[in-house]
Amino acid sequence: MKELVDQIKARLKDQKIEVSDEDIKSRLEKLIVNFRVPESEARRSVLNYFFKEHGVVPQVRAGSDKVKIADIKEAGKWVDIEAKVLDLWEPAAETISQTGLLGDATGSIKFVKWAKSDLPNLELGKSYLLKKMVTDEFQGRFSVKLNRTSQIEPLEAEVEAKPASRAPQQVTVAEINEPGKWVDLRVKVAQLWETNSEAISQSGLVGDETGSIKFVKWVKADLPDLEEGKSYRLKNLVTDEFQGRFSVKMNRTSQIEPLDVDVEIGSIAAEFSGALVDVQKGSGLIKRCPVCKRSLAKGVCSEHGKVDGTYDLRIKAVLDDGRKVQDLLVNRETTERLLNLTLEEAKQMAMEALDHEVVRSLIESKLMGRYYSVTGPRIDRYLLVESITELSPASAAQVEELIGSVEVA
Amino acid sequence: MAGMAGFSREVAKRIFAEELKSANYSFRDGEDQHQYAPSYLLTPTGAKCNRVFLVGTLTEKDDIGSDIEYWRGRVVDPTGSILIYAGQYQPEAAQILACMEAPSYIAVVGKPNLYQTEDGNIIISLRAESISRVDENTRNQWIIDTARRTLERLEILKNASLAPKAADFTTADNVPATSSASTPAQDAERAMQHYHTDIGHFREMVLRALTSLREELAKSSVHSEATESKGKAAQDGKKAAAGAQYAAEEMPAAKKGKPKKSEPFSAWPPAEDEDEVETINIGKKS
Repeated sequence: MKELVDQIKARLKDQKIEVSDEDIKSRLEKLIVNFRVPESEARRSVLNYFFKEHGVVPQVRAGSDKVKIADIKEAGKWVDIEAKVLDLWEPAAETISQTGLLGDATGSIKFVKWAKSDLPNLELGKSYLLKKMVTDEFQGRFSVKLNRTSQIEPLEAEVEAKPASRAPQQVTVAEINEPGKWVDLRVKVAQLWETNSEAISQSGLVGDETGSIKFVKWVKADLPDLEEGKSYRLKNLVTDEFQGRFSVKMNRTSQIEPLDVDVEIGSIAAEFSGALVDVQKGSGLIKRCPVCKRSLAKGVCSEHGKVDGTYDLRIKAVLDDGRKVQDLLVNRETTERLLNLTLEEAKQMAMEALDHEVVRSLIESKLMGRYYSVTGPRIDRYLLVESITELSPASAAQVEELIGSVEVA
Repeated sequence: MAGMAGFSREVAKRIFAEELKSANYSFRDGEDQHQYAPSYLLTPTGAKCNRVFLVGTLTEKDDIGSDIEYWRGRVVDPTGSILIYAGQYQPEAAQILACMEAPSYIAVVGKPNLYQTEDGNIIISLRAESISRVDENTRNQWIIDTARRTLERLEILKNASLAPKAADFTTADNVPATSSASTPAQDAERAMQHYHTDIGHFREMVLRALTSLREELAKSSVHSEATESKGKAAQDGKKAAAGAQYAAEEMPAAKKGKPKKSEPFSAWPPAEDEDEVETINIGKKS
């Protein structure tokens, strides 16, 4: 309520109207509490009341509505916004004269001013009333476009912009749980991957004390290369999400600062329970490159060519709970415990059978189709299994409870 | 760019045999419906499945191939039975099935396969991707798991049924194919339109499965003899299977239903009556 009162007060102040908090509050309360009017409607109603009382004629708007940034939820709408310019970015195309970030009390939004619009330039930190902009959407994120019909009016009073969205937030990897957010990270580069697109200059894994996350650095970002094992402060990254997994993207506005300290990569354990529905290729007895520890394909390392590999035992498998799947990586130690088979014994087995695959077959026959519960850190799409236990047998109480829930329904 | 070309493994749905058997609606996903688009089976409770995980008792198995081995097995759960197949294109699964004794507990990951006979019957089977021998614990866990997932779907279905029902003639074929990212609610609505699902019927089915499991657990705690409860489980399963057979006949959706325009699931060689099929000309298809 206090927030609503302040918002109204600020709006009234813009029109040089002074009203006491009490006055605003009592009107709001009556609408919201006694008459169950939604907050947004109550706000509008109270504002209009005071405008009218003080002889302020609401501006006539031809087809565009004055909105708050947080209210923009649809593409192709004409809107007016009172906002402050929070950031200006390098336009990516000649057709764009300016682009950047606008903010008000409710949030921030990207704007694009077309070269063709022939509008004056916006200044960083200044507040404007921007009229007749068109809303747009790309991958769930909204923006506003200034075109030929748009108008820019500088505002005397500064628009109060939400400080949280003004600057990217310093976050930890584990805190990233939403796409489309601007963040700063303090991380170490855990892995660099082969890139599979010409638009990407680097991709891999970065991590901090709380976990690891995939990153992508665009070629267009024009940033220096990251080195494996080095720690950096990465500024102004955008979070992204694909099938429930998050990543961060480094673009033109991002910055890389090398750190002197070494960031420790840790993890927060994840849990998953389900049926083991697949034991994948590359499970069982494998050979790894002595240099980079990658698993070898026919004695060849993708990085170091033909090498004398060292034996290892691991499981790559898939757990499935009927709603989601989770890829698992089980290291040698845990695999040995789970199979009750040491690496040496596995080697012996393979030697006798003249086939490495016997170990994978053994894994399949022991694990496939059974229910397991696992815990461990999640890295990219894999859960690195630290503990794996078969689910305890169904109990009569469990069944009873389920029957009870059906009968109630 | 979003990961590796968007490949993600299909979730294996949990469906009781009775429900699986009464499913008769399959489609390819995606707007263009090209031949490589994944195909899905939509079940009466709205499980949209490209893959199924089933645990039950293998009650019979036969090599029905002529030149090359082609294995067929019958898997029974508390609600009914379903046929599984494994041939030359599933060598590991076929090998395991070949070496397995019936009866024993079996876990199957497979792709649902819909075949329509000339007289319009629709037969569902599973093409096994993997088969493994499991114990009674796993089978019990599966019943609980499947009951939970089915109840979840029924809950969603309950809300879908409140939506205005389409005119009688609208079959689900006329519903535009949604993207593969259809929500459970959309799947439920589609299932409702196609099957006019009787929610009470499937709730009963879940209850039956759970009640039989409860009795088994109570018994096995009295007689510590494991074999005893195993025998009982198999018996129960058979009884339930017979019941399910009857129920399936009662269900109009499972029987008539006009021929589908497309038959996205690879057609299965004619199996006359589901129950005692002995002769099947084996196709190379799998």
